[in-house]
Amino acid sequence: MTTSTLPPAGGAAGDAGPGAGIAFGGWDGFDRGRTRGGGLRAQWRGFATAVRLGWSTEANWTDPILFFIYSVAKPVSAALILVVMLEVIGGASTREYRGFVVTGSALWAMVLSGIAGLAWSILEDRERYRMLKYVYVSQSDFLVVLTGRAVARAAVGAMGAVITLAIGVVVLGVPFDPFAIDWPLLAVVTTVGVVAIVAIGMILGAVVMQSRQEAWQYPEAVAGALFLVAGAVFPLAVLPMPIQIVGLLTPLAWWIEGTRLALFEGGLSAIGGPGSAWQALTGTASPSTTEVVVALLVTGVVGTLLATLAFRASERRAKDRGLLDQTTGS
Amino acid sequence: MTATSIRPRSGGRPARDPFIGRPTASPQAAAEWTRRQVVMANLRSVRGRAYPRVTGLFREKSWLLFEILLPFLTTSAFVFVYRALQAPPEYIGFVVVGGAMSAFWLNVVWMMAAQLYWEKDQGNLELYFAAPMDVMSVLFGMALGGMVMSSSRAIAVLVVATLVYGVTFAVDQWLLLGLVFLLTLAALYGLGMILSSLFLMWGREAWHMTQLLVEPVYFVSGLNFPVARLGMLGALAVATIPLAVGLDAIRQLCFVGTDVSLLPPGVEALILAIMAVVFTLAARASLRILERRARIEGRLTARWR
Amino acid sequence: MSAEPTAPAIEARGLRRVYRTKPVDVVALDGVDLDVAAGEFFGLLGPNGAGKTTLIKILTTLLAPSGGSARIFGFDVERETKRIRRIMNMVAGGEQSGYGILTVREQLWMFSQFYGLPGGEGWRRVDELIDAVGLGEQRVQRVGTLSTGQRQKMNFARGLLNDPWILFLDEPTLGLDVGAARSVRELVLSWQESVAGRTVLLTTHYMAEADELCERIAIVDHGRILAIGTPAELKRRVQRESVFRLELDRLDGGATALARLPGVVSAVPAATDGQAGAGATPRQTVVLSLVLHDDAALGGVVAALDPLGAHIVALQKSEPSLEDVFVELVGRGFGDDEPTEEPPISDGRGPGAAAVPGATNGAGPGRAAGADVGPHELGEPDPEELLT
Repeated sequence: MTTSTLPPAGGAAGDAGPGAGIAFGGWDGFDRGRTRGGGLRAQWRGFATAVRLGWSTEANWTDPILFFIYSVAKPVSAALILVVMLEVIGGASTREYRGFVVTGSALWAMVLSGIAGLAWSILEDRERYRMLKYVYVSQSDFLVVLTGRAVARAAVGAMGAVITLAIGVVVLGVPFDPFAIDWPLLAVVTTVGVVAIVAIGMILGAVVMQSRQEAWQYPEAVAGALFLVAGAVFPLAVLPMPIQIVGLLTPLAWWIEGTRLALFEGGLSAIGGPGSAWQALTGTASPSTTEVVVALLVTGVVGTLLATLAFRASERRAKDRGLLDQTTGS
Repeated sequence: MTATSIRPRSGGRPARDPFIGRPTASPQAAAEWTRRQVVMANLRSVRGRAYPRVTGLFREKSWLLFEILLPFLTTSAFVFVYRALQAPPEYIGFVVVGGAMSAFWLNVVWMMAAQLYWEKDQGNLELYFAAPMDVMSVLFGMALGGMVMSSSRAIAVLVVATLVYGVTFAVDQWLLLGLVFLLTLAALYGLGMILSSLFLMWGREAWHMTQLLVEPVYFVSGLNFPVARLGMLGALAVATIPLAVGLDAIRQLCFVGTDVSLLPPGVEALILAIMAVVFTLAARASLRILERRARIEGRLTARWR
Repeated sequence: MSAEPTAPAIEARGLRRVYRTKPVDVVALDGVDLDVAAGEFFGLLGPNGAGKTTLIKILTTLLAPSGGSARIFGFDVERETKRIRRIMNMVAGGEQSGYGILTVREQLWMFSQFYGLPGGEGWRRVDELIDAVGLGEQRVQRVGTLSTGQRQKMNFARGLLNDPWILFLDEPTLGLDVGAARSVRELVLSWQESVAGRTVLLTTHYMAEADELCERIAIVDHGRILAIGTPAELKRRVQRESVFRLELDRLDGGATALARLPGVVSAVPAATDGQAGAGATPRQTVVLSLVLHDDAALGGVVAALDPLGAHIVALQKSEPSLEDVFVELVGRGFGDDEPTEEPPISDGRGPGAAAVPGATNGAGPGRAAGADVGPHELGEPDPEELLT
């Protein structure tokens, strides 16, 4: 195999005769090894860089006003709406629900951030920064970079979730024992949960890559729809049975359930309870910790696989139709 | 110097020169408009700016999903919260009405308040200011178009949710209900116009401020519950936020007999009317002041790109 | 009415614009005087950051000057903005304005409404202009699907909707291919020639474009006008003589035979094909660089060739480019970095040339200040921002 090379290094521009290119000192010719890529290390580097980039642009921790808006005001207000709804109806008798809705509402802030993360990264890079094509042709895997940005956004949402939970405990009287936290369970469900959230974001990203101007609203709209079936602020048992089944197939419902179990052992279950599909299918009142983790893992893995397939298919279609460097004016 | 709109071609047949539209004798003559011309130009500008919003409604079919189905699902979530709490049936109605009205609020926040920021980003803003019409006409056009857009969403959510969840409306005063609704829109979009002009100056910071206008305003306006339950905070909201006072009045008129309200609907209608007038006048004044400041500071044309 | 009947199209006196930025204020315009007559096609030529766009923004009432004054057909840009907006329009290069969901026809009609045209007349006018600019096939195509050239044609149609008496063009061919750029230039010329008195102010950093279109040009750099004149006048600043490349089949007596002729400044062998000083071509002709006092002396040279046994193979006039003029004035090319020496003092030739003290103020090129410069901070974007 021959490799085409420029004239040997070290010579002056005119030495090789008319038409000679510029020779760079110390360059011995084209290195095909560079096209092989850096493997997993390179992918990790791309991922970590994307996380850092996403965090530095999203976290707002250097700007108190922005931090207050995104990590305090918005998630806390969302939780307060639900708390007042409880108070309006039942007053003291609904106190037990307070922890339920505050937790669900707090976690939902993380869901929205994570779901939106990948989709908005695509839209921003394509429409605002006009960088998407450069990210795509870089040696880092496109999906890995976007996932990194999404993880950073989910982490920002997690900040809001923690703050909301803290306000719920300190101000709203949500009963909470920090010594009773099941840390291993929390670690497992949080890790798998973030993966599941990002996976949903991947599906959304796949849609957004094909979409035009209206795509900015997709994340909020989808999050609003998922809000109905994830057991975030009411038990799934309230829903008609077919819709409950949809909820049971959603990793978000298991993630929220697992987080509640880890933080508030013995609290209300969103999955189980009288009239629930879970009880009808399994005969037990509510899922155990192990069942929650297994269900989360299964739905999370399946969801992630489906999401990856969907994203890759969308990526191929976008490349085929020249959508990666389009700007739609949105 | 006299311009003609007809240029004879060879063969003697006059043909219209596309580069001559409405000839005027001189630039000085062209620059002087009668009051009627000014008024008509502004009215036509309202129509022109409303056009893309109304057209967009019918052109992008995805609105059926994102403007109707998904908002309906979000509203449904709060319906089920009340069902889980076994709330009285009128509370389901409160949520449904709140969900319908939230369409207008979101439209005001995203498509009025933040709109001039986006227009500047796109390069449209400088074209608006370089045109002879009053920029308030553009805002009115945006508001009108926005009302059409949001009304379709609100009606759809209202109808679907009412049918699915069996909401029963008890209305005694249809005229007052209609008046309150229109006044609510007028006040909402008047506020939107003020926010538009403020955001013109704030630039990127304004866009973040719009975030503060979603969930926090939902909370203090009692989107899913009677605002009277918030006590003083609710009273303050009713005095200042059109969504709060409008929702409270509409709920009283739609569900006669419920006793959770701050003020009688007639009084709230008056508050809305005052808000509409004050906001619109304030928007006009702030737009003029802020346009002048924006021209001095170079913010009309500066855009990040 | 405060305007005079025969007011110039543009009249600027001591125009200044300072942007308050950190760490140091930026002087984008530094005392610009300018007079453009009605009916003139006037060009502003200068590199990026020279202040051309800032000047246009002030004249189109989008930006307030920090000092000085400017009038458009006698109307003050600060106090009579509405009147000016009724008689002017502007088109910028690289414009991405518009609503992607609308068709070309609808987009233009929307703008016709902003200029007060009745609805029906607006549609008719839009259709005329669409045909005039060559967008007939794209009439019902969505704006978001137009190519760069098509979009710019649409922008031009928008710019002509209100029959402006003065049209401001800010780098209108930016990013266009050769064909599209030529098409745009032809459009502008056709439009201007349709009615006497229509004025065009063009900013560009493409020398050839300014040379081709403009009757007079102002060369701008660092917020100041360095020189104003017709393209020919500006070039004569650099080269007052006429320079020709003369190729002969033979020349008995060599170049000195011509150098002695009346009107000839110099006649020397010209360098050809890298063979410096030879003056010979592969075809064994003789090539000379002939410098004459003026074009009129050429006749005498031609007449003298026959007795010398020479016949002309080729004759080509060499003219300096506007970039040569710029380099002469500023000491660097359009693409070069900051000058290594202070810019020369303007000789005040022509109306409006700025009297520039020798030293610069060290200010860099002007740039638009504003809160929107910098990385975009994120949060929830407009869910329906599209266009509506």
